[in-house]
Amino acid sequence: MAKDRGSSDVYVRPLRRILIGGMVLFLFAIFLLWRIDSPRVERLRAALVDQIVPSFDWALLPVTKVAGMIEGFQSYTRIFEQNQELRRELQQMKAWKEAALQLEQKNAKLLDLNNVRLDPKYTFVTGVVLTDSGSPFRQSVLLNVGERDGIVDGWATMDGIGLVGRISGVGKNTSRVILLTDSNSRIPVSIQPSGQKAMLVGDNTAAPPIEFLESPELVRPGDRVVSSGDGGVFPSGMLVGQVAMGTDRRLRIRLAADYGRLEFLRVIRSHSSEKITDPGALLTPSTLPILPTVPIMPGLAESVPPVEGAADG
Amino acid sequence: MVDPITSRRWLYRGLFLLISALVAFFQLLPLDLSAGRWPGPDIMVALTFAWVLRRPDFVPVLLIGLVFLVSDLLFLRPPGLWAGLVVLGAEFLRSREPQSRDLPFLVEWAMVSGVLIAMILASRLIQFVFVINQPSFGLVTLHLAATILSYPIVVAVSSMVFGIRKIVPGEVDQLGHSL
Repeated sequence: MAKDRGSSDVYVRPLRRILIGGMVLFLFAIFLLWRIDSPRVERLRAALVDQIVPSFDWALLPVTKVAGMIEGFQSYTRIFEQNQELRRELQQMKAWKEAALQLEQKNAKLLDLNNVRLDPKYTFVTGVVLTDSGSPFRQSVLLNVGERDGIVDGWATMDGIGLVGRISGVGKNTSRVILLTDSNSRIPVSIQPSGQKAMLVGDNTAAPPIEFLESPELVRPGDRVVSSGDGGVFPSGMLVGQVAMGTDRRLRIRLAADYGRLEFLRVIRSHSSEKITDPGALLTPSTLPILPTVPIMPGLAESVPPVEGAADG
Repeated sequence: MVDPITSRRWLYRGLFLLISALVAFFQLLPLDLSAGRWPGPDIMVALTFAWVLRRPDFVPVLLIGLVFLVSDLLFLRPPGLWAGLVVLGAEFLRSREPQSRDLPFLVEWAMVSGVLIAMILASRLIQFVFVINQPSFGLVTLHLAATILSYPIVVAVSSMVFGIRKIVPGEVDQLGHSL
C-alpha cells in the first residue's frame, strides 16, 4: 500500500478501529436491547416513524397517485370491455340488492318479534394509507390516524368489504396495520356453513392458509370465512374471504379485501365489553345491602356468606 | 474558507444521504400491497459498497451506521442488526479498497457478492440464535440475488451520473497527499 500520510496515520488508524468497534458494538447493543425489551424499542420505532413519515406525506400521496394514474392509463385500452363487464355485473347486483332489501326487512321484523338485543353497532375511523412496510418480508401499512384520533392497539381494520388486518403499533399521528398476509398475523376465524373454528395464519403469500381446523372434510372451496371473535381479539362476523384449495393441496383463504388497492382503511372501534369473571359478583352486588338481623327467608340468609367470600377472593 | 476538495466531499456525503432517503421513500410508497411478490434488490447496500470501493472518503462509517440504523427502524427489521453487519461489510471492503483499484470489475463484483452472502448468512444465524421469526429462505435468496444483480447497474449509475470513479494514481487530497 503506497501511502504516505506522515505521522497522522499512526494516531488515526487505532482511533478509527476504536470508532468502528464502538459503533458496531453500539448497533448490536440496540439489537440486544430490542430482543430483551421489545415493547419499549418498538414504541421508540413507532415514535420515529411517526416523526419521519408524515414529514414527507406531501410527496407520498402525489407520487402514489401518479403511479396509480400510469397504471390506470395502461388499462385504458381495455376500457370498453371493462364497461361491458361492469354493466353486466350491475344487472346482477340489482337483483341481489332487491333480495338483500327484502331479507333485511324480514330480518328486522323477526328480530322485533323476538325482542332480540344485538351488539351495539361498531363505529369506525377512516384513515389513508401512507406507506407500506418497505420490506418484502413484512406485510404492513402505515395509516395517517393515531393516538390523536383515539386509535388503540389491537383494533381491527377493514377496507369497504373485508378484514385487512389489525393495529399493531400506534404513534401520535400514525398507526401501523399488520396485514392478514404478514407472517406474524394469526386470526381466529369461523368457516360459515359448517360453523367450524380455525386459525388464519399469514405466511407472506397472497392467500394465507387455514390451520387448526378440526374436520377439514366439512370445508369445501367457496365457503365464506368470517372472523370468529374468539379470544376477544376481533369483533365477530366480519368478512375475511373465501376458502380456496391452494396448489399445494392446503386449504387457503382468498381474501375479500382488495390488497392490490388499499387506499382508505376503516379502523373499527372495539368497545371493551363488560367481562364476566366472577359468577358470584354477577348474581349479587359485591357491596351487599345491610342485612336484616333476623333472616326473613332462612334459605337466602344461608346462601349469602359464601357468595360474599367469593366476591372478596 | 472551505477548499474545493473538502466542499466536494461534503457535497457527496449529502448526496449519499439524499439518494438513501429517495430509495427509502420509493420503497415505502404503497404501490402494490399484495403479498407474495418478488422481493426487490437492496439498493442502499449496493450503493454503499459501490461508493466505499470507489471513494471511501465520501461514505464515512458514521454516516453508514446512521443511515442503516434509521432504515432498520423504518423497514421493521430487527433494529441495529443489519446496520451493524453493513458497517462491518463496508469496513472490510474499505480496507481492501487500495488493493482493488486496479482489479477488473468482475473480481470486484465477486468480492462484493461474497461479502453480501456472508452478511446474509450471519444475519440469519444471529436471528436463529435469538429465536426471531425469519422470512423464508427462498425469499431471502431471491432478495440477495436481486441485490447482487443490481450491483453493476448501481456502479454504472454512480460513475456515469454522479462521477464516482475509482481513484487513479495522481489524485491528491486537500493536503496534497496521494489518496
